[in-house]
Amino acid sequence: MSTPRPTHLDHPGRAVWLRRDAEQVSGALPPLLAEAERLARTVSMGLHGRKRAGPGEDFWQYRHAMPGDVLDQVDWRRSARSDGLFIREKEWQAAQTVALWVDPSRAMDYRSADAPRSKAERARLIALALAILLNRSGERVSLLGVDPPLPPRSGPAQLSRMAMALTAQDDDRPDYGRPPDGPMPRGGRAVFLSDFMGARDELFAGLASAAQRGVSGCFVQILDESEETFPFDGRTVFRSVGGSVRFETQRARALRDAYQARLAQRRAELQDVARRTGWQCLFHRTSESPRKALLWLYMALGGQD
Amino acid sequence: MLSLGPVAFLSPWLLAGLLALPVLWWLLRAVPPRPAERIFPGVRLLLGLNDPEVTPDRTPWWLLALRMLALAAAIIGFALPVLNPQEDTLADGPLLLLVDGGWASADDWPDRVARLEVAVDAAVSEGRPVALVHVAAGPPASGDLPLGEAEALRTRLAGLEPRPWAPDAAPVTDWLRGLPEDTPAFETLWLTDGLARDGIAPLAAELQRFGPVTMVGTGAQLRALTAPTLDGGMLSATVLRPEAGPEESRQVAIIGLDPTGTERRLATVTAAFAPGETEVAVALDLPVETRNRVSRLRLEGVTSAGAVALADDTLRRRKVGILSAAAAQEGQNLTDPLFYLRKALEPSADLIDGVLTDILNAAPDVLILADVGRLSAGEQVLISDWVEGGGKLVRFAGPRLAASQGGPGSVDPLLPVRLRAGGRDLGGALSWGAPKALRPFPETSPFAGLDVPADVSVSRQVVAQPDPDLAGKVMAALEDGTPLVTGTAMGDGQVILFHVTANAEWSNLPLSGLFLSMLERLSLTATGRRAAADLDGDTRIWTPEIVLDGFGALVPAGDLAGVPGTRLAGEPPAADAPPGLYSAGGQARAVNLLGDGAKLALQAPLPGVAYRGLGAAAQVSLMPYALLIALGTLFADLLASLALSGGLRRGGGRMAREGQAVAPLLIAGLAALALGRADMALAQSDSLSEADQAALLATSNTVLAYVATGDAQVDAVSAAGLLGLSRTLAYRTAVEPAAPVAVDPETDDLALYPFLYWPISEGQAQPSDAAAAKINTFLRTGGMILFDTRDAPLGNGFGAGGTPNGRVLQRIAQDLDIPPLEPVPQDHVLTRTFYLLQDFPGRHANAPVWIEAAPAARQIEGAPFRNLNDGVSPVVIGANDWASSWAIDADGLPLYPVGRGIGGERQREISFRFGVNLIMYVMTGNYKSDQVHVPALLERLGQ
Repeated sequence: MSTPRPTHLDHPGRAVWLRRDAEQVSGALPPLLAEAERLARTVSMGLHGRKRAGPGEDFWQYRHAMPGDVLDQVDWRRSARSDGLFIREKEWQAAQTVALWVDPSRAMDYRSADAPRSKAERARLIALALAILLNRSGERVSLLGVDPPLPPRSGPAQLSRMAMALTAQDDDRPDYGRPPDGPMPRGGRAVFLSDFMGARDELFAGLASAAQRGVSGCFVQILDESEETFPFDGRTVFRSVGGSVRFETQRARALRDAYQARLAQRRAELQDVARRTGWQCLFHRTSESPRKALLWLYMALGGQD
Repeated sequence: MLSLGPVAFLSPWLLAGLLALPVLWWLLRAVPPRPAERIFPGVRLLLGLNDPEVTPDRTPWWLLALRMLALAAAIIGFALPVLNPQEDTLADGPLLLLVDGGWASADDWPDRVARLEVAVDAAVSEGRPVALVHVAAGPPASGDLPLGEAEALRTRLAGLEPRPWAPDAAPVTDWLRGLPEDTPAFETLWLTDGLARDGIAPLAAELQRFGPVTMVGTGAQLRALTAPTLDGGMLSATVLRPEAGPEESRQVAIIGLDPTGTERRLATVTAAFAPGETEVAVALDLPVETRNRVSRLRLEGVTSAGAVALADDTLRRRKVGILSAAAAQEGQNLTDPLFYLRKALEPSADLIDGVLTDILNAAPDVLILADVGRLSAGEQVLISDWVEGGGKLVRFAGPRLAASQGGPGSVDPLLPVRLRAGGRDLGGALSWGAPKALRPFPETSPFAGLDVPADVSVSRQVVAQPDPDLAGKVMAALEDGTPLVTGTAMGDGQVILFHVTANAEWSNLPLSGLFLSMLERLSLTATGRRAAADLDGDTRIWTPEIVLDGFGALVPAGDLAGVPGTRLAGEPPAADAPPGLYSAGGQARAVNLLGDGAKLALQAPLPGVAYRGLGAAAQVSLMPYALLIALGTLFADLLASLALSGGLRRGGGRMAREGQAVAPLLIAGLAALALGRADMALAQSDSLSEADQAALLATSNTVLAYVATGDAQVDAVSAAGLLGLSRTLAYRTAVEPAAPVAVDPETDDLALYPFLYWPISEGQAQPSDAAAAKINTFLRTGGMILFDTRDAPLGNGFGAGGTPNGRVLQRIAQDLDIPPLEPVPQDHVLTRTFYLLQDFPGRHANAPVWIEAAPAARQIEGAPFRNLNDGVSPVVIGANDWASSWAIDADGLPLYPVGRGIGGERQREISFRFGVNLIMYVMTGNYKSDQVHVPALLERLGQ
């Protein structure tokens, strides 16, 4: 169960909040988990082995005993079938740690009329599906930027804890997200899922500091289609989701090119940061299939060994 | 009220709001359209960008004009503009609604009632007390003015009906004279039928004593039909109009029974008014057989008792067969016994002569045997069979007859009385007595009422044996009581003997006019009817059989009291003797509103009376239109505002979201449409492609269809019911119908559907002639209609005196080719086309179901059923409300409860089985009936 939030308990409409939380726990969580499971099942690959001999559970190969091998390692059953001695080697299975950050900001709640999902929903789905895949191959997964912190663990319990943490709705969320600055497992991997639409200085400083902590990983920029195409016209007041930023224009259509240029610039900068720190970048739209992003992420995390 | 030409404003002070428009202009101009507000996370990227274009903050002038228009339209709308404002309200105080309500008002009766409603509505809004007096129905029983709340009167208006006689103004005038002294002054609105009648002017004068009088309505459009007469063998009647006018043509339908006994239109004749003529005679030469079956004439397109003329026996020429034993003798015309008969009968009857077999083959009404003595045994059998089947045998005495009678055991069965041998001579050279005159006819005689001329005398006659029952057989007697004419019933017919010859040898009766009248009566009563012309002095009580209602429909007379014949002959029809068919003593005569030679005339304008037309009465409220314009303009304004703020640039989701704001406006617009008149509703466009699609659907699938009654609820039940039946058929049988469709016999092609379900509802319109023809074709070419009056618990089916729906069915069926019916017999093929059924319940059970009566059929030995279904019944008629028990909703669940509990479900199941059987019957016809031959076939195979 999620830890109760004191703020809600003090709230006058406590029962209402409790009820809402309970409904979310019982209602929203299983769909998310189920959907993530379904998504993860499409990338079924089995255990994430190291393709080399080492400590592990699974059989890897028999090889002739060499001088220097310990007698304990001899597989007597195999050796009895021939003259030589054989050593039974197992595949090296070492658990990695992958830290996930799902941008909790309000900007992620945006969903244009044509979009199937909000950006936050898509980010949560990809994060959880990735966690399921990683968990299946024995990796440890942690979630950054949540309170209370979710240390890296593996197993189904961790998945449901993650799901719980992802679906918990915090009311005092920032308008735009900034990358977490907490501790990250050294030598591990990290995946940042966000729209990266925050203020430029804040955002890139955070990204750089995260990347500099000896962690490699992926930035996944999740955008709504309308954020790429800018299909607006007429006299319009644009307002961020949280309402902290406003911008008024007389004719929105005239701004489209300038906006798209700025978006391209933002992406170039993101790619630049990634390149400099050895990260990878994926631009994902909510109108695209989440499978594509999931597969890409899985390959990017597994393929770098 | 403020009037501007034909338009008036009921709340003109609201128009002052128009003065505020300039202020609004100034205000609106200062407020630019609001910018669209959008949530957009990418807004951070926009910060610092410069707007390349600047648009004015001011509202464009055309948008302002649009808004002004909307507001002006709304103001005008709420000022309650009306077209053709009603200004009946000449005075305040009580209002008397005087309704003529005779047959002449019936044709435009709905308009009259609508006009009354307008007047009552006005009175309600002004709070005036109102009284309603129906002239034809007579003045109110109470001695004072029956004033009441106008609101309460409203419910009475729907029940007002015209009476089938002319309104009599005199009793109302008397009633007005008798009003108490303290009766307040009142205004009168008189819905007149416009025809000139005695008593109208005094009534108007009397009404003017109390206040202003307005007469509404005119009789100029009235058309009427006089009673049919027979003129030189032609059936003729006159179509009347009250006013000479332009050329005009009208159809007169001649209605009667067809040879199968079904009432239908026998002929149609066109009456064309020449310009300036007020009457036109129509004449039609019908074959005697057809003419004899004519029951009434109807002027098409006029629903009034004055447009229906009932026929009686004046129309019928009887066929009289004459047989004489004497061989034709040259040059002896005046002594020929047949000469006088021919002369007497020729004007009124068709004579048949020849040998006996020829005569009987021509099916005469009356057979006259003049001085025929012995008949051969074969002839006797022929004649007595014919008499027992309803014929009337009239025999005249003569030397041969006298000679043939009187022997021991020589009883002639074809004589009403036994005769003495010989007869007697009166006043001859060898007798003591003088020729005898006649006694007045007894009351029970068919000759009752005929004047007996003093100079008729009888000098020789045959004499009846004094039997105990002789007195009952005497129809006419001599002064001394000797029977002169005797008659007796024999089977369904009658045998009558004139104890004198048909020529002038034995008496001078054949030379008198009385002879003519007597023969006429005899020949006319031959089929139980009697001539109309001689009701004068007839004191018998005539009982009404069928009467007309004000609209000209035939209704059973019910328990109306009978009237003496003198009343029928003397005065025009009125409440005590409504027009209709009356009978007395097995004879019948028609009482029609307009006799031969009647005329219609319009009432001349009366001094001091205001006149208004009925048609111009409609006061049309323009408010819905004005509000609709306002709403439309507002909607345009909304679109324009959206366009200005870029909301229209892309369709899709944004438009849908804006649509949520638009929807209430649209709904309001539709509501305004509904407020408007029905004719504002968009005419349903039945384009060709739709008809083609329906035809395609109906021909590529089996489609069950129902007749749209116009009653939405009934139609919905029919649709759901046929859907349920279609599903059941698809589940259980090889018949897999598509979704049921509604058809309108007026417009749709019926040939595409094998089966029509026709629920009867009270408000159903009569099918037009074209539609009736279409339905008849449908029925004759193998279609089937299931008529369902849906009112089994209400009682007596669809016959006369039945339920309201039953009467509607009867009215509809009158133009249709419906064969004689019988309740479904136990062994009808309908009971075993798919399921074996004993009864046919729907939502109601136990009401009989009627189908075409089968011809007498024989039972085949060993077969369980009679072979009686060579023909498939074109109609099935019942009252069990099948559609309700079949009806299912979209989920397949029954819509209406049937019965109670398990039994009810069983009833529903049986009802579905009936439906399956019925459709199987429609589809396979008498196929199942062929199985009656199976035992015979098996037996043959066995050999």
